[in-house]
Amino acid sequence: MLTGWIDFDDTLRTLDLLQRRIDRAFDGWADPAWTRERPRHRARAAWPPTNVFETKEAFVVKAEVPGLAQGDVSVSMEDDALVVRGERKGEVRDGYKVHLRERASIAFTRKLPLPGRVDAEGVTATLENGVLTITLPKAREALPRQISVKAV
Amino acid sequence: MSDVISTVPEKNGTAHAKAYQRRASAPPVDVFENADELLLVADVPGVPPDGVDLRVENDTLTLFARRSETKDEPPALAREYDEVDFATRFRIPAGIDTGSITAETKNGTLLVRLPKTAAVKARKIVVRQGSGD
Repeated sequence: MLTGWIDFDDTLRTLDLLQRRIDRAFDGWADPAWTRERPRHRARAAWPPTNVFETKEAFVVKAEVPGLAQGDVSVSMEDDALVVRGERKGEVRDGYKVHLRERASIAFTRKLPLPGRVDAEGVTATLENGVLTITLPKAREALPRQISVKAV
Repeated sequence: MSDVISTVPEKNGTAHAKAYQRRASAPPVDVFENADELLLVADVPGVPPDGVDLRVENDTLTLFARRSETKDEPPALAREYDEVDFATRFRIPAGIDTGSITAETKNGTLLVRLPKTAAVKARKIVVRQGSGD
């Protein structure tokens, strides 16, 4: 009975050891330069990562665009969507050797369906410290309205 | 991971970040090298120029970047990122003049320059033309 358990344990241990050996074999096989240069953050579904907030008067869209200057990004309203386009160019500098590359160079177009009716003329966008903030004032007819009750 | 300058493995929320009592994550980083320096570029969106704190202790460079305070935020309809601070550490290789490390922020990215010591800089010997006599 007891020996049976010991045998069972040993099987697991052997399998574990085998698994480790396989892992290690693949570690050696993968080209270190290739794995190193694959940006870790590419798994993100969409770039730039974006948050959308709602206030009483407006929708506020904030996107993280580190490395982008004013001329690298454009914001427009197309049909019922807010469209943000831009490009972050690679920063591999002349004469520099690359040791680690986690920041992706990327060209992007993000189309965000409008969360409600907005006043397209009043949309503003600012870029500060790599964060793009777009304020979309709600359309007048979409603002909450108080209806006064008259006594008859 | 780079063997020249490597991040020191540590869970999110380094000792540094804990001191600030704020959540932090490791920023994506590029590391470049030329004959004169190592150049480290990190994405730290939302961090103002005065929000960066760099410390060198022995052979460790600790980076902490603090976002500007956000006022009471309205409820989010969609959220793809958290407004956390950034914290990470690097092991500085030998041959870096740790007293001359400089940093600057630009458009939400942080550039850290780690100059090599004079002894390590590529020793280029200029071959001069003899006068011919």
